[in-house]
Amino acid sequence: MKIPKLCLLTGAFLLIAVTGSAGALASPALVKEKQCHTCHRFASGPAEKEQSAPDLFFAGDKFQKKWLENFLQHPETIRLTGHTRDPGFLKGTPHTGLHPVLNPEEARQMTDYLMSLKTLKESPPLNLPALSKGKRVRVKILFERDYSCIACHQSYNLTRQPRGGVSGPSLIDAGNRLRPEWVYQWLKNPKAFVEQGRMPLYHFDEETLKRLTQYIMFHKKDDPGK
Amino acid sequence: MKRAFFIIAGMILWAFSAGCGPDPAEEKSATPPAESAPTTPAVSPTPRAYPVTARTRKTYQFYCAQCHGAEGHGNGINAPYLTVPPRDHTKADYLETRSDAHLFTAIQKGGLAVGRAPCMPSWEHTLDESTTHSLVSYIRELCRCEAL
Ligand code: HEC
Ligand code: HEC
Ligand code: HEC
Repeated sequence: MKIPKLCLLTGAFLLIAVTGSAGALASPALVKEKQCHTCHRFASGPAEKEQSAPDLFFAGDKFQKKWLENFLQHPETIRLTGHTRDPGFLKGTPHTGLHPVLNPEEARQMTDYLMSLKTLKESPPLNLPALSKGKRVRVKILFERDYSCIACHQSYNLTRQPRGGVSGPSLIDAGNRLRPEWVYQWLKNPKAFVEQGRMPLYHFDEETLKRLTQYIMFHKKDDPGK
Repeated sequence: MKRAFFIIAGMILWAFSAGCGPDPAEEKSATPPAESAPTTPAVSPTPRAYPVTARTRKTYQFYCAQCHGAEGHGNGINAPYLTVPPRDHTKADYLETRSDAHLFTAIQKGGLAVGRAPCMPSWEHTLDESTTHSLVSYIRELCRCEAL
């Protein structure tokens, strides 16, 4: 049997259209209805004054789908002093109040939309293994000492209590929340996502980038690891 | 009673083991943030050649205030969670014992590089040298002091 060439071509084209980075879905009516855009940016460009919530135009690069769908139904606090653009940020008293809550059907629809928003041209899977306990102790020293990460980010202490600074997003559930590929890209070049952030820039070598990513992905609320 | 002792002992250990939020057992290699003689590096900046501008103040608010506080009193939002408190930039008694070169290196290379606590990050890839010099000038303005 001979499959017509045209058929193959159209098939390939469709496949690219669905999976390609240009595959952002149309913004659902829900965004307007729930006023998500008054607080969040859905496209890069200058933020409006009131948009003092995390940017979502790279949500598909950043979040794990399961976490996202759950967050939209049960929002939780990640930035203990608010987003860095919040006028109350430096005082520790964020101006934005309670987060809208979506029902399961709305959350599913919104998650599909958000997961289609991407800025990374390509993001090949990292496939990093979990760190051995010994390596983890070594990277912990990088995190808490050499690079001062813990001065701004919550992590776990030995008894698994959250511990650390609050000006950066808490990392205590990062392993369920963030995609390792995104964490890696963030540590490599945060400017690809935030023009100017309050986190210091680092020039990590490849090895350190991977180690820190593995270390961050180890942080899970529901899984103490070994 | 006994328990209280252990808690206090634990806290002391923690505070002196010199990671930024360390777990004592893991921090053997850390340099304690003692009030010892600082390593004064061989840079000779002339900070007053780098005056405090509106940009300097903005830079301080944007990056430094999250720990050192908006007015530099060392009471930023992270301060309660750090094992070593951020330096109060308005207090002359410590800052006049430190050279401008020391402050410059502390900002560029971080606390560890000048024998201080690692809670103070390195800003060398974030801030260029002239901005860093102007921050030193700004800290001198805040403490109303010069190096002795
Ligand atoms: C009143 C302002 C406001 C509105 C309206 C709002 N959000 Fe948020 N949202 C926030 C803030 C503030 C945060 C950060 C919370 C934190 O980190 O503790 C946030 C966090 C998030 C996060 C997690 C982002 C991250 O990087 O951690 C997602 C996803 C999200 N919102 C989606 C939505 C969606 C979808 C809508 C519309 C249904 C919406 N938000 C409406 C203020 C808002
Ligand atoms: C001076 C404070 C500070 C230090 C030190 C710091 N960060 Fe951050 N970090 C932030 C802030 C603030 C953000 C949020 C981005 C923004 O809006 O600027 C952030 C964002 C992040 C994120 C993305 C989290 C999210 O949910 O969006 C990761 C991952 C991260 N930092 C890891 C690290 C690691 C690893 C280190 C040490 C190598 C580190 N940070 C050091 C302040 C800091
Ligand atoms: C993540 C928190 C944090 C941030 C952000 C931060 N600092 Fe610090 N800084 C500290 C801590 C903690 C100390 C105290 C170190 C010690 O006493 O051992 C310190 C100490 C210092 C010192 C004194 C060094 C010494 O000899 O004790 C200077 C100068 C300084 N910081 C300048 C700055 C400047 C300028 C910025 C902004 C570019 C900044 N810091 C941002 C936490 C921070």
